Amino acid sequence: MADVAATRPVRNATSRTALVVVGLVVLAAVGLRLADPSRVAWMQAFLILLGSLLIVALPFVALGALASALIEVFVPIGTLEKLARLPRPLQLPAAGLAGVAFPICECGSVPVARRLAARGLMPSAAVTFMLAAPVLNPVVIASTYVAFRGRTALWTMVGGRFLLGLLVAVAVGWVVGNRTKDDLLRPRPDDRHAHHVELGPPEARWRRFFLHMGNDFLFMGRYLLLGATLAALVQTFLPTSLVLSVAGAPVLDILVMMGLATVLSLCSESDAFIAASFVQFGPAAQLAFLVSGPMVDLKLGALYAGTFRRGFVWMVVVAVFAATLVGAMWLKVVAG
Amino acid sequence: MAIAAWAGLFWFLLLTGRDDLYLSTRTIWVVPIGAVLLTAAALGRLASGRVRSPEPMHAREAWIMGLMVVPVVLVLALPPATLGTFSAGKRAGFGAVGFTVSVGDVGSGPLTLIDVASAQFSKSGEQALAKRAGEQVEFVGFVTRYPDTPADEFLLTRFIVTCCVADATIAQVRVVNVPPGLFETNDWVEVRGPIYPLGREVIVNASSVEAVPRPDRPYLTP
Repeated sequence: MADVAATRPVRNATSRTALVVVGLVVLAAVGLRLADPSRVAWMQAFLILLGSLLIVALPFVALGALASALIEVFVPIGTLEKLARLPRPLQLPAAGLAGVAFPICECGSVPVARRLAARGLMPSAAVTFMLAAPVLNPVVIASTYVAFRGRTALWTMVGGRFLLGLLVAVAVGWVVGNRTKDDLLRPRPDDRHAHHVELGPPEARWRRFFLHMGNDFLFMGRYLLLGATLAALVQTFLPTSLVLSVAGAPVLDILVMMGLATVLSLCSESDAFIAASFVQFGPAAQLAFLVSGPMVDLKLGALYAGTFRRGFVWMVVVAVFAATLVGAMWLKVVAG
Repeated sequence: MAIAAWAGLFWFLLLTGRDDLYLSTRTIWVVPIGAVLLTAAALGRLASGRVRSPEPMHAREAWIMGLMVVPVVLVLALPPATLGTFSAGKRAGFGAVGFTVSVGDVGSGPLTLIDVASAQFSKSGEQALAKRAGEQVEFVGFVTRYPDTPADEFLLTRFIVTCCVADATIAQVRVVNVPPGLFETNDWVEVRGPIYPLGREVIVNASSVEAVPRPDRPYLTP
């Protein structure tokens, strides 16, 4: 694996750097308090939306980092390699269905998938798991049921979300194929540090656990911050009435709902309530929103960019959109 | 330090009740989880940091850590606020709130803004609400006005949040017979008066409008 840190000249932080950073943060706090940018309506909306997205997502990132550290430190390396020897037609659906037992949002599944791939699980299975978990978990299915309760399309939406979510995740896993973890994973500078610590005495296992958990949280957190900032900006300025103008337009309605899911970056446990609010759109477009949103959105895009190589991220995005579009169009033909 | 700052923010939200400004009552449980997990992570990280030959932190990494603390500073330094008229205008395009209460709930008992918003979503809901025309209601929300709003009217708005503020939809009724000039946009008020559903528009003929402080839970949860 190429080591990014070794190929670029890096400057180490000194106590002066730390002092400047802390000083600027304190200055920002005082400046914000005095200037109070929330007096400007759009700025206030943006700050509330950004805070809200981060506050709801970061505990899930922390949970994902915890699970990831547990896998790294406590799951023997041979266990996942044994699973990787299973035939792919069996491994991918199994990885997708494993998501049923992982009731956390999409932000938490990314560090877990990365760790699973790094520890020897077939990368295609890790990606399938990552994409399926936020769609198939019981909390999400229950919230979909509640959101569409009382509608004629209730079971189309609940069953369709589960089945299409699983199919899309497996299809993307299939597209990933036999790529190795080095083809997928973006090298992280802290991997080198973590490996260094692994050479320590065996009693330092809890230290390794906290080191991995902290590293994963900080690494995912920075990309989440970037993605949440973009999502909050879009949410601040995008009038939802714009979207309604294409309701009923064949194919375009599905594409627009997928695009909307991408920019809104909603949590998969609440997105069904928003999808259900677009009563002007049919079940196929709503289902496309519910399946593609938890797999590809702005905040996830930033998390993927930090975790995977750029070409691979684009491949996942295109594969998710293509598979969801085909599935939703098929549903439109069948269910109208 | 960045993990500790975020842990501190979650404890702050938990202890001050300001989590209500960002999350719905359904998802508020993530705040104590975040507080405990991040505190454990910060303490564990502090202890695990003492390795025999620690690697120095890169300057770039120090700046990124500083950036990660900025949202914490934003939440702590700025006065508590909620979404207002600006966002209501952007979210007015939602077809209806994405949930349904039963027609029975709309047809009997005291009417809430959630009932009204939900009833606008289906024909049976609209019919159940129409049967209650003329009944007295008491709604709390904030004043929304647009350039074409007549001086003796305003829209009473309340956001409905299912998970976090990012998924907010709006419940809105038109309040008529309001004394002109008394209330500013975004003022929180309590409106009393008979309700008159007219298809998808719901009108309240105000018998009284009083300014009230912003509720502790400014967002409604279905």
